[in-house]
Amino acid sequence: MSVDQIPNAGLLEYEAVMVGDKPTVTSRTWYHWLLLTAVILFAAVSVGFVGTIFWSSFPTWAHHGFTLLTGKGWVSPDGPFGGLAMITGTLETSLIALVIAVIIGLGTAISIVFFIPRRFRTVVATLVELLAAIPSVVYGLWGLLVIAPWMEVTVNPWLNSWPFAKGIFGSPGQEFGTSLLLASVVLGIMILPTFVAISREVIAVVPQDLMEASLSLGATRWQMIRQVVLPTAKIGLLGATFLALARATGETVAVALVAGSVANAQFHLLYPGTSIAAWIATEFGESQGKEISALMALGVLLMLVNVCLALISRALVNRQRRILAKV
Amino acid sequence: MEQEIEIMTEIKSETTQVVTPAVRGAIAMQLNNVAVAFHGRVAVRDCTFDVAKNRVTSLIGPSGSGKTTLLRALNRLHDLTPGAKVSGQISLEGTDIYRGNLTVTELRTRVGMVFQRPNPFPTMSIYDNVVSGLRFNGIKKKALLDESAEASLRSAALWDSVSSRLKVAASNLSGGEQQRLCIARALALDPEVLLMDEPTSALDPIATLHIEELMKTLKSRVTVVIVTHNMQQAARISDDCAFLLMGEDRAGELIEFDTTEKIFNNPDDSRTLDYTLGRFG
Repeated sequence: MSVDQIPNAGLLEYEAVMVGDKPTVTSRTWYHWLLLTAVILFAAVSVGFVGTIFWSSFPTWAHHGFTLLTGKGWVSPDGPFGGLAMITGTLETSLIALVIAVIIGLGTAISIVFFIPRRFRTVVATLVELLAAIPSVVYGLWGLLVIAPWMEVTVNPWLNSWPFAKGIFGSPGQEFGTSLLLASVVLGIMILPTFVAISREVIAVVPQDLMEASLSLGATRWQMIRQVVLPTAKIGLLGATFLALARATGETVAVALVAGSVANAQFHLLYPGTSIAAWIATEFGESQGKEISALMALGVLLMLVNVCLALISRALVNRQRRILAKV
Repeated sequence: MEQEIEIMTEIKSETTQVVTPAVRGAIAMQLNNVAVAFHGRVAVRDCTFDVAKNRVTSLIGPSGSGKTTLLRALNRLHDLTPGAKVSGQISLEGTDIYRGNLTVTELRTRVGMVFQRPNPFPTMSIYDNVVSGLRFNGIKKKALLDESAEASLRSAALWDSVSSRLKVAASNLSGGEQQRLCIARALALDPEVLLMDEPTSALDPIATLHIEELMKTLKSRVTVVIVTHNMQQAARISDDCAFLLMGEDRAGELIEFDTTEKIFNNPDDSRTLDYTLGRFG
């Protein structure tokens, strides 16, 4: 029986077992009431938080409805408020960031588990995970001051040398170099530690004897990784991907700094754009009345999406754990 | 205990001819002064014996005597363990497996392994499990894979119960069936030697019986080396037997190697007798 399967016996069940059929709580001392108060406070704050956001966004849903999701313009302070630019911006930046993070991250995680000498393994893993502790404003600054000039000189002209590139990327040469592509790259680097940390764990718990079985059948190390380890860890890796995606869609400050804060719904990746989170952050200071409600509505949307992504991620990682428990 | 020993003797006495190591015929693997150490700490040493072709050789001894460690040296599984060092000489058909002209992947296709816990690949179907070794070795032709899958599953006495559901996930099989699948998977590569590390310790008595029956039929085509905790099992199925014991410095060493008949009835070393009589272990 693995640790996960042990029933989570709380204090009350324990006493019930000890005393008889009915749980008998013998002493209600001051800490009992303190804990109860803390729990009630927490519940109240959570409900209040979610409730007020939904409540404040209600006028926008009532008056604009789905034009918030599909409308193109954003006119302060009275509307109309169209969220299409923010939604597409979020999707574009997050998905490109995810591709970057998954490619680099999977390679990193595999290397940490299989190729880096045992002595350095913990050091490298810790360093990668420490990247997650860097405040996002620092990533934003770095993106703006270091990556943006580099991309303007090197990457953007190269991208535009491809056929049909203008259609995908648009012309380079925006001021400050802010663009959706820059935001994607910075986001990709930011969500890398999350993806590496989880996928490394998922890969590391693939049972040793499965790997030995494949080697005993004459598999090379690489065949073992590709045909046994990665397929076995697949569901957990998908969970890591969803969590990284949740990080990307929710990231605010860095995107606000490097995307350019322009509410244009377009697919030209070298043009400035914005994301839902970044737009809320940049607009909130000057907003009033109807616009506050519209921003709250965007917030609700973002919150729902992120909660779903986090739940999916958790479900996948748990499912992986159950699969391995059975193996 | 008394009764068990009687049964054991009975089973062994069915063997009509006493075969001494000198006349056992061809040699599949030769071990010469083999020792395995981890980070300089010796786990097993002084192992010198020949594994005879088309016979079942069992490695017996109490926990910590280095049986599994020795077995894993025979297909170089210790290569993966940092700090592990195998010394002495192990040869397969005369070729030194550590220093000779034999790649580690080639060695492992010729010396297969079945593990303690049934460990079919959980993401693969029954069919894909059986042919995985062939695929690792670059064989893609479907006719060839199909043919080998059927032959291997038949050899492992599993074909009749799975032939209609080859595409089903291997995890749907029972423990005993999974272990037979692992045997089929190893047999698909047509190895010369099959290493088995306590292959029945995770199985119920009926499944154990099936695997033991299987081993008896398999030895006509493959040489078997089996680690077992279960002395009756060693007596029932093996032809030759190596007895290992943990020495004073906690390193396992070979105490005696001979035919199973002799080890269980008339061993040279008194410690072997004590162990087979169940006086310790």
